[in-house]
Amino acid sequence: MKKKLLAMVSCAALLATSVIGCSSSKPAESAAAPAGNESTAETSAAAAAGDIKIALITMDSIDQHWVTLNEGAQKAAGELGVSVTFMSPNTKDDAQQIECVNNAVAGGYQAIIVAANGPDAISSALKEAASSGVKIVYVDSPANVDAEATFSTDNEAAGKTAGEEMIKALEAAGVTSGKIGIVNVNAATDSTVKRENGFRSAFEGKGYELMETQYGEGDAAKSQTIAENYITQGVVGIFGCNEGSTTGAGNAIKASGNSGIVGVGFDKSDAIMNLINDGYLLCTMAQNPDVMGEEGVKAAVASLEGESLGGKVQDTGVSVLTK
Amino acid sequence: MKETKQSAVKRFLGMRGMGAVITAFAGLIVIYVAFGIIDRNVFSGQNVMNLLRSMSKYLLIGVGQSYLLITGNIDLSIGSMVGMSAMVSATLMTMGISPIIAILVALACCLCCGVINGILVGKFKLPPFIATLGTMFVSRGAAYMVNNNRNTDAIATGIGKEAGDRFQNFFYYGKTLGIFNTFWIALILFLVFFFLLSKTRTGRHIYAVGSNVDAAKLSGVNVVNTTIKAYLVSAVCACVVGLILCAQAGMGNMEAGNMYEMYGVAAGVIGGISPLGGTGLLLGTFAGAAVWQTLENGLNMIGAQVGIQRLVIGIIVVFSVLLDVVVRSGNFRKNTNS
Repeated sequence: MKKKLLAMVSCAALLATSVIGCSSSKPAESAAAPAGNESTAETSAAAAAGDIKIALITMDSIDQHWVTLNEGAQKAAGELGVSVTFMSPNTKDDAQQIECVNNAVAGGYQAIIVAANGPDAISSALKEAASSGVKIVYVDSPANVDAEATFSTDNEAAGKTAGEEMIKALEAAGVTSGKIGIVNVNAATDSTVKRENGFRSAFEGKGYELMETQYGEGDAAKSQTIAENYITQGVVGIFGCNEGSTTGAGNAIKASGNSGIVGVGFDKSDAIMNLINDGYLLCTMAQNPDVMGEEGVKAAVASLEGESLGGKVQDTGVSVLTK
Repeated sequence: MKETKQSAVKRFLGMRGMGAVITAFAGLIVIYVAFGIIDRNVFSGQNVMNLLRSMSKYLLIGVGQSYLLITGNIDLSIGSMVGMSAMVSATLMTMGISPIIAILVALACCLCCGVINGILVGKFKLPPFIATLGTMFVSRGAAYMVNNNRNTDAIATGIGKEAGDRFQNFFYYGKTLGIFNTFWIALILFLVFFFLLSKTRTGRHIYAVGSNVDAAKLSGVNVVNTTIKAYLVSAVCACVVGLILCAQAGMGNMEAGNMYEMYGVAAGVIGGISPLGGTGLLLGTFAGAAVWQTLENGLNMIGAQVGIQRLVIGIIVVFSVLLDVVVRSGNFRKNTNS
């Protein structure tokens, strides 16, 4: 009995210290948490700026894209004097993202800024949040539920630009035909699927053969394996649809030693910039996640203060980054 | 009168494995209170309801995995069966097939996998780790291929918005008597399997096979059938969790249930199920699942860093197994001395 008691007590002490020691990535602007009562329906539009709690739920909490988005959001939060809590799941997982939305509602957050994994999966959870009075703003990827505003990249146009850049480089090198490989994330993420569609549309009427798309789940290692297979099959160009896919594609081109292959990608990171500067990737379409975060927070606060944004969709644009 | 009442309670508390269960519940209370102190919203009624709903998945997987652990085996395919169940039911529904039939087909697929597991381990004596590793990949592959390597569309596109809402409400979004249906489903299944394990002959056979498989065989226990039954329980649990995930998202996700087999082991082990087989109470699995979910929920609510949850759960699992080993060696000495 003594042994069990000792084990129990030390277990509890261990847990208590580890939890309290490692808590909260909340900003300095911590709003006083409301007392644990049931009614979150009372999200008053007249809430004073200091009491506003916003939840930011992206697809995961690891990818540079989402980290930068959070940074933009925190910057706006600091300026406006509100609190934004980054509550994303560990990995891209519908079930976990739904739990995060539920937790945000239960935690008394007045607004949720969300980058939905897919248009359908979290719709029911968002509908429930909206009916409890929580304001919804989309960043990067919307879902099928009406929201105050959406701040995203026009993915199809950006994909087309990527395709046009690749064609320009190929034609300049005198390559007018050949296979092109596409490394995408999965068939469910709307944003990356749109980029692929835009990319493919740039190749209409051209003499290149676009191969069947392969999915690397946005994991750089998986994407690299796919790209290496494409290279073995003799492609002249590879398109990576997001950060992980692009990193994988670039690394595969580097490993192959064939500098004739034109690699074009999406998103910006140190790894990708290094690959571009070393000449293994031609260019990347850099989104502006920090702008999405900033504008998202501003819109959330505006709608909580009573302004009607009418569900506007704002294109936050891309920049073509080359050497 | 008083004497019999006392001895009943004492008997309950003195059951083998109850010590670990009590420790697990005590740990649960400590964790819950700790998080509540950090963020008062953890105590809110809405959060408690969310907690009960989200722990249902781990509870069911925990029960399935516990059955196997008690027999001294393991089921690595339980997570993939979840994915297979979610994808099969979602794909059929997007094709317009009625939810009831979709559910039955998903159940049939999982039971099939369970029988295969049982035969491979029970009859052909394959090491359970290897056998279920194989069926894990096969089921996950099936989950991928069912809808041509892509996630399904929303189930409402096949069966219509009304039927889709009914399905989603039944398994995830709806409430009965103020508590989410998901929890009721998990609770009812938990009670059924609890009864099966503690009060029926099959249950006793399951403990026997886990304790000492040769002694069990010599006492007339049909080891092959018992093993198959345990894997069938696991398959049923996986099927239901797959349906819950399908209802949660309103569509099928190919990666549904990823890593759940490990969470099931963790839930069982935290509750005192010994990975060596032969002991453990399902009540402990309940506590284990609750501990896991409370941690996940609490860390998410306070916006804690990504790796912390994994770190803490890992420490708790090791602690629990250590406790089990220490208590076992202590009990052994106590029994031989008396």
